[in-house]
Amino acid sequence: MDAADRRALSTAGLVAPAVLAVAAFLYLPIAASGLLAVLDYHPATQTFRFAGLANIAAVLGGDAFGRAAWNTLVYCLVLVPAQVLVPLALALGLREIAGSRTAPVYYACLFAPTLVSFSVAGAVWLPLLNPINGVLNEMLTALGLPPSRWHTDARAALWVVSLVAFWKTFGLNLVLWYAALMTIPKEQIEAARIDGAGFFRRVRDIDIPLASPTAFFILVTTVFTTLDDIVGIIDVLTGGGPFERTTNLPYLLWQRGLVFFQFGQASVIALVTIAIVAILTWVQFRFVERRVTYA
Amino acid sequence: MPCTRLSRRTLLAGLAAGVAAPAVLRATGARASDARIVVSSNFGPETAFQAVVDAFNAKGLGVAVENRFDGNYEEATAKTLAAVSAGRPPALMTTGWKFGYYAKRTLGARDLREIDAARAEALIGNFVPSVHTLVTVDDALIGVPWAMSTPITFINMEHWRAAGLDEAIPEEIDTDWLYERARALQAALGGGAHPSFRSPLALSNNEWTSQSFVQNAGGAVIDEAGAVGLARPESIAGMELFCVPAHEGLWIPVGSREQDAAFIAGALSIVTTSSTRVINYPQAAPFEVATTRFPGVPGRPRRMNSGGNFLAVYAREAEQAQAAMTFLEFCGSQEGQDLWSGVGYLNSSVHDVAAPTPLIAPAQAQLADGLTAETIWPGTRGFEAQNAWRNAVSRMLERVDPVPVAMARAQDEVAALIAA
Repeated sequence: MDAADRRALSTAGLVAPAVLAVAAFLYLPIAASGLLAVLDYHPATQTFRFAGLANIAAVLGGDAFGRAAWNTLVYCLVLVPAQVLVPLALALGLREIAGSRTAPVYYACLFAPTLVSFSVAGAVWLPLLNPINGVLNEMLTALGLPPSRWHTDARAALWVVSLVAFWKTFGLNLVLWYAALMTIPKEQIEAARIDGAGFFRRVRDIDIPLASPTAFFILVTTVFTTLDDIVGIIDVLTGGGPFERTTNLPYLLWQRGLVFFQFGQASVIALVTIAIVAILTWVQFRFVERRVTYA
Repeated sequence: MPCTRLSRRTLLAGLAAGVAAPAVLRATGARASDARIVVSSNFGPETAFQAVVDAFNAKGLGVAVENRFDGNYEEATAKTLAAVSAGRPPALMTTGWKFGYYAKRTLGARDLREIDAARAEALIGNFVPSVHTLVTVDDALIGVPWAMSTPITFINMEHWRAAGLDEAIPEEIDTDWLYERARALQAALGGGAHPSFRSPLALSNNEWTSQSFVQNAGGAVIDEAGAVGLARPESIAGMELFCVPAHEGLWIPVGSREQDAAFIAGALSIVTTSSTRVINYPQAAPFEVATTRFPGVPGRPRRMNSGGNFLAVYAREAEQAQAAMTFLEFCGSQEGQDLWSGVGYLNSSVHDVAAPTPLIAPAQAQLADGLTAETIWPGTRGFEAQNAWRNAVSRMLERVDPVPVAMARAQDEVAALIAA
């Protein structure tokens, strides 16, 4: 064995654990989901029966899937822009007060919600949102405004879940934006200021282009979070209700699999969700990454 | 003076002994030879169920029981399913009545007679005959029917008096009586007239109290023959009556957590919910709580439903199954039942068990009247059927669909799912 072979072998040895982990915990489950999607399987009885397209027909033909897909789209349309743009605005504000004595207070207050888990975030908001005697309704009533039923109102529930999800998640993006903005050389900003560029012009032409790698990362990870992680908040706050008005695709997947024990149907939903995530990620890399300026 | 040198090994051994000693002392009840069994339960370490477990372990009968809190019925069932799939089922699980078919036909709850016929007969003999059918599925005795509840009415007496209502609350009430009082409470205490009052009534937005209304009106969710009865005129009439206070603004339908929190905080005047709250509500509420029967439907005989759970054996190994039977025997005994009554369930045993509180009297009266089973959802898609009915109840309360339309739709959905 010559040196090149040894180098190739050692490289393969170093890469193998990662490849095996990805194969075992990513590709194998995807393949298993593909198999389960065409089987009628129950883990307790360990019985398998070929179901053909029955699971796919049951999922795609039912109302629940359409509602969950629509809700997932609305969550994305609301939360992705909000979780990208609002933290950017806050990070720009924090940069202005960087170094001041009050800055750490703002950092702590804005980042604190990120430290709790999604389900805890839901639990924290429950007493505030209680439609009968919750804190928010008490405040509305004190101001002479009508109370709301919040997460128990079919018309408001999805927006309430979005609000809580935003509260829980925006802090991480804020930190990322802030870190990216703080790496921009002050000289460039100062030069633009001397040349007469206003605040918004500086943000558009200096901050965002120079922070674009971080912006792209934030965009991709925020889409993942919105598609997947908010399921904990949905479970605690609304349980998918009222009458499935807040159910998204991952929650429907969990419900079909681990509440109704319809693993074939859950696998179909999993595959559809994987396809959506893959397409969205491809679109982002194909059309958004070209605008990214790498230093 | 001789001096022993302290080596690193000696130091570590000493530290290990120091850490282990308290644990060993705590575990005096359990011996190495004991059969160890796990009970997947809905009851945490501060509950009367833990007291039952602790009392049993203290007896040193050769079986050590561990109470594992696994959440509500749905969560515990899901965890047990995973454990059964992995070949490591809990020896016992507190199984909701509504999951009776699922427990037997899918999770494989054991027939107690198959484990030990003589012990099983003696065990079930500790419970009144009327509840034996609740744990008999496919001619198999699949558990111990020790946890029975029924929905009753809870009243905040401070609100009651503040509204000038008659404190002599009848033992039997109907919806006319209840809704009239709710309107009176709203008129007297609403609009900020009372500092804590926010809403007069909550009937519990779920599949259980709605079943009570359907049955009290003469209808059925699923009747004794297994037929879905939601589209029957009586069932529709029951649900129309159920929705009246929500549509009038007397009831803000919320989840059980919000409902309990609001009642305990003194924001709600009347709640109809599980009789097990006779323990929690008076402990947590800073006002006098009164109870009475669940409201009947005017002009109709009452036909109330039960709820709760049974203890079923899932152990596959003979030693574990026998150990589970030993624990069940204690649960069915006078001593076990005395301890268990602290949870707030009705006494379904033949033993003379003191009521944990006088507030449970209406529930006992309903038991004496005769209780039907909680809806037991059949078929492999039974859980989906339950969910469809829950959604239909919410839609009716929200006035998304008129009641007859929603009931016709629920009839079709539930019938299709339980037939699948």
